[in-house]
Amino acid sequence: MKCIKPLVKWAGAAILYTMVMPSPAFSQQKPDLSDPEIASVAVAANQIDINYAEIAKEKSKNADILEFAQTMANDHKAVIAQAVALVTKLGVTPKDNAVTQKMQADAEKTKKMLRSKSGAAFNKAYIDNEVAYHKAVISAVEDLLIPESDNNELKELLQNVVPALKTHLMHAEMVQKKFSK
Amino acid sequence: MKNYKALMRNHLYLLISLLFFASCSNRTDTPVHKVYTVEIKQMQFQPAELTVQKGDTIIWINRDIVQHDVTEEKSKAWTSSPLLTGQSWTLVATENADYYCSIHQVMKGKLLVQ
Repeated sequence: MKCIKPLVKWAGAAILYTMVMPSPAFSQQKPDLSDPEIASVAVAANQIDINYAEIAKEKSKNADILEFAQTMANDHKAVIAQAVALVTKLGVTPKDNAVTQKMQADAEKTKKMLRSKSGAAFNKAYIDNEVAYHKAVISAVEDLLIPESDNNELKELLQNVVPALKTHLMHAEMVQKKFSK
Repeated sequence: MKNYKALMRNHLYLLISLLFFASCSNRTDTPVHKVYTVEIKQMQFQPAELTVQKGDTIIWINRDIVQHDVTEEKSKAWTSSPLLTGQSWTLVATENADYYCSIHQVMKGKLLVQ
């Protein structure tokens, strides 16, 4: 959960920077991302959720968690495949950047937290993180990555991914309810 | 000879009449079934609710970049199995059904059979 907060703040800062929203960690101007950097962020965001799913498949025995994790792995792999196909077509190489690095560093902390848990505590931690992570990614894609994209095909791909992310969020919230009883 | 020709003419009229009525009868006995398409795109069944006649055909086609399936929700009476992008699945409607994507369980559709 902790790892999500900086991303949410960052996305919030991006949305609200014109309103001079104070934020200790992200009070700088809205990040100015190039299309290769946006591609890097998009691929990293998908890969991070695939990695969380792999941990869930290793550690959980709950059918709802395992089914959800498999869906996340399959869907995010499909999105990465689309992104790779597009950047290949456009002749663009995803470019590492501060946002990607920050996401990956935060993901490492979350993976460590998830690996430290087991049983019901793991299931709850995993699905809570999935809800928070998808909320943060939806916000970042809609409010920063899409507006920042210059290439129309990249913008269209990001727009096409949003319904899948929102469906994942609804699905995660549905599973989460089973663990909050 | 005249009687023979008249008889043959009458038989011919009778035959034509029988063929005519038979063809009319066939038209009314054989209902014309329609074919409907439900697109799976933007993580939705479009249209989400479809009203058809018994015997009509429904084709679901996956236009999304992720896999979906089409599964009867209450008793899992039928399922398409996973559909890759561009793949389709066909069902002949027999009864009402609530259905969903068992991969993305919040995606739901309804089939109303009249």
